[in-house]
Amino acid sequence: MNGWTLAGTSFLASAVEAVEALTIVLAVGVARSWPIALRATAYALLALAAIVAVFGPLLHLIPIDALKLVVGIVLTLFGLAWLRKAILRYAGRKALRDEDAAYEREVATLRAAEESQADKIGFVTAFKAVLIEGLEVAIIVVTFGAGSTLALGWSAAGAACAVVLVSLVGLALKSPASRVPENAMKFVVGVMLTSFGTFWTGEGLGVAWWGADLSLLFLAVFYLAVSGVLVAIARAPRTVRA
Amino acid sequence: MNLRAIWEFIAGDSRRAPVAVAIAIVTAIVLVRMAPASTIAGVAFACIVALGLAAAVFERT
Repeated sequence: MNGWTLAGTSFLASAVEAVEALTIVLAVGVARSWPIALRATAYALLALAAIVAVFGPLLHLIPIDALKLVVGIVLTLFGLAWLRKAILRYAGRKALRDEDAAYEREVATLRAAEESQADKIGFVTAFKAVLIEGLEVAIIVVTFGAGSTLALGWSAAGAACAVVLVSLVGLALKSPASRVPENAMKFVVGVMLTSFGTFWTGEGLGVAWWGADLSLLFLAVFYLAVSGVLVAIARAPRTVRA
Repeated sequence: MNLRAIWEFIAGDSRRAPVAVAIAIVTAIVLVRMAPASTIAGVAFACIVALGLAAAVFERT
């Protein structure tokens, strides 16, 4: 499988999650204190590293076809959930995620907290945000990299680039990255995850895809077209029966 | 973290999408065993997943 495709998908998915985590960390840093925000981030990253270190190698103990099947099903479900949200947002049926609003909400909550509790709340808030968003990244990186060490390297490199880039931009601006086209990225990642998931589930079940890896491209185009049609249908005003 | 939370973390809040994936898997298994070209099973799988996506988009959650 093409390493650049793996790295690109991993990069986009990780960038989306990194923006969401960064928004919360920035809010804690501004509203409470930077040492608390950075300490919570560091602890969450350590916890994540431990989870990946424990569960990552276990994947290689599973027979490859069974692994492809499990990974494929998880990716398909994950991809459908992302794609559904992105379609509903494009169709105007769900509010677009607003990082500025999320940031202001977190800052207001932290400022309203009692002084004695605020540091603890700030720490837990930043820790949870980094851990949960990071877990999504870890699932994507580990599942994409489950096939081989090389694939894991491409996948991890894509994620690392995204996290570093988003962190640097966020820290330089000291404000939420609200201009990142998050929904468009989620849409693309949803299509990619669903395509990879379909491909691997098929391989796990014994499907010999026409064109081998090339069929991933056909699957991506197919899901993109279906999603585009669904956005158009969901956006259309409904007729009310008399 | 309980099982429900893990499930929602992976599959989101749609009930129809996971059902479609389950139907797609069963269909693909049957077709792989029966069909002369297993690509048909792959195409059927993708089409059922796409239908599941459509059902999920119009689902009330």
